[in-house]
Amino acid sequence: MKIEKDILIEDLVDDFPFAEEYLRVKGIKCIRCGEPIWGTLEDACKEKGFTDDAINDIIVELNEINQNKNNHNEQNNQHTRSIDTTRLDRS
Amino acid sequence: MSKTINIQEVLTRLGLTEVNSGVSTGTQWFDTEGKLNPSYSPVDGSLIASVKTATLDDYEKVITTAQSAFKEWKMTPAPIRAEVIRQIGNALREAKDDLGALVSYEMGKIFVEGAGEVQEMIDICDFAAGQARTMNGFNLQSERPMHRLMEQYQPLGIVGIISSFNFPVAVWMWNAALAITAGDVVLWKPSSKTPLTAVASHKIIEKVLRDNNVPEGVFNLVIGRSSVMGDNFLDDKRVPLISMTGSTAIGKRVGEHVGKRLGKTILELGGNNAVIVTPKANINMALMSTVFGTVGTAGQRCTSTRRIILHEDIYDDFKEKMVNAYKKLKSKIGSPINPDNLIGPLHDIHAVNQFKYAIEQVQKEGGKIVYGGEVLEGKGFETGTYVVPCIAEAKNEFEIVQEETFAPIVYLIKYSGDVENAIAINNDVPQGLSSAIFTQDMQEAEKFYSAMGSDCGIANVNAGTSGAEIGGAFGGEKETGGGRESGSDAWKVYMRRQTTTVNYSSDLPLAQGIKFDLD
Repeated sequence: MKIEKDILIEDLVDDFPFAEEYLRVKGIKCIRCGEPIWGTLEDACKEKGFTDDAINDIIVELNEINQNKNNHNEQNNQHTRSIDTTRLDRS
Repeated sequence: MSKTINIQEVLTRLGLTEVNSGVSTGTQWFDTEGKLNPSYSPVDGSLIASVKTATLDDYEKVITTAQSAFKEWKMTPAPIRAEVIRQIGNALREAKDDLGALVSYEMGKIFVEGAGEVQEMIDICDFAAGQARTMNGFNLQSERPMHRLMEQYQPLGIVGIISSFNFPVAVWMWNAALAITAGDVVLWKPSSKTPLTAVASHKIIEKVLRDNNVPEGVFNLVIGRSSVMGDNFLDDKRVPLISMTGSTAIGKRVGEHVGKRLGKTILELGGNNAVIVTPKANINMALMSTVFGTVGTAGQRCTSTRRIILHEDIYDDFKEKMVNAYKKLKSKIGSPINPDNLIGPLHDIHAVNQFKYAIEQVQKEGGKIVYGGEVLEGKGFETGTYVVPCIAEAKNEFEIVQEETFAPIVYLIKYSGDVENAIAINNDVPQGLSSAIFTQDMQEAEKFYSAMGSDCGIANVNAGTSGAEIGGAFGGEKETGGGRESGSDAWKVYMRRQTTTVNYSSDLPLAQGIKFDLD
């Protein structure tokens, strides 16, 4: 699943929890009073004065982080599977 | 309540199943096609159950049903409407332990606070039921002979209620009990973080609605994401009043959207609540009260104490006592459904991140952590949502102190000189919800709640910032939004004011002595 500019902040923080910290560092606070703010990622960025180009950069970066996380998880899964295979072979 | 609560039995008694509809018009539940919203407990990370959220079609059907119900409900006499509310209060009494347990398990507050929240629902039902016969208007003296001038209050229509996760059921009833008695119908959008307590609450009132032949569409529930229950709801002219409890960020959005169509709002938003402790305070009282204010509901109340403004003469002593009290509390952090515990978890991992961020920021700005701040690990804390409440020394002007962090972190701020200096610090934040002073000195107390005093909606003396009663108006100023829920005349907000002049003479005199003769 890719992050698009029209993703709801509610969905963003649920499905891509790392995005909350990434955006907070940029001054965009997705969680207020314990609840995600309303509106889309684009709305939240624009409210903080980000230009269209800057928003696109944010989206590219968020997707890169997500891809790296997925790759990392995939590697971990493969590693786990190979351990399981070894165990099976030995038995 | 027994020491261990069997949540499965609680869910069954409340009529909840593995998957529940999130849309109701009172006794009828919709077979929705919306996205599934799973609800995980912050207590142990378990999936409690799921709710099927609303679609835009569902929303439209609910609004139409509500409009139709309003036509009938507004013509039902107020004392009869209030009788339904009285019976709802009784139904809640019967379900108090079960709903309180679910509030605790789904939200994370300790069981006694969960049950206390249900008690607030009961209290407002009693309050509204009694008030039904006293919702009055005015008869005024007309300047024209044989004329009667009066002001009266009429029902408004559909009242939208948007509530937050930290008080997942009480906020609904604070609004609904008064609005329904006033002749309105209500449409509730609860937090999608605590959908099950909302469904359970509606199931509790179902029998009362059926027994009293209440029209379908008087009590409505629509659980949906902001794509279904967001700006479209705020922009909907069929909803004349939206009452919203939550963050200032969402409140500004609500104010902007509803304001554009000149609708009405009740906004109960963020707080940055301070307690002033003067050298003339009963220190032990101040200590006990502020400890509850800072760690109660794990610092996730709108009225949680965020700042303690201490006079320099008592600063070190109070700090030491506070640290000792916090040390004692550490062994009482754990599952909120275990009655031995006093502090439950934060609601989710995002809340933990906010907590960690505040701790990092206050130190970056020059503050000092005096106690706590750790995220607990190990048996019973596997969710990563249990934290040790934090005490930090800070200055009021720090950016992080000016913000509301929805977690158990409290800032100790030193003042010197007279109480006026402490009041200035109290007021020097963007929010204005709750405030308190601890002093035995009558002049200090009077200054605090006078026009030169606290600028907050709530200004207590020798009582903490949290723990409001439904008899007093609840809400605050500045970025807290200015709205008031509950309280003596809160019913007026849910009604429209109408002035009527009745001429029982045979002449047509105009006001201000204006003559308008055709001959």
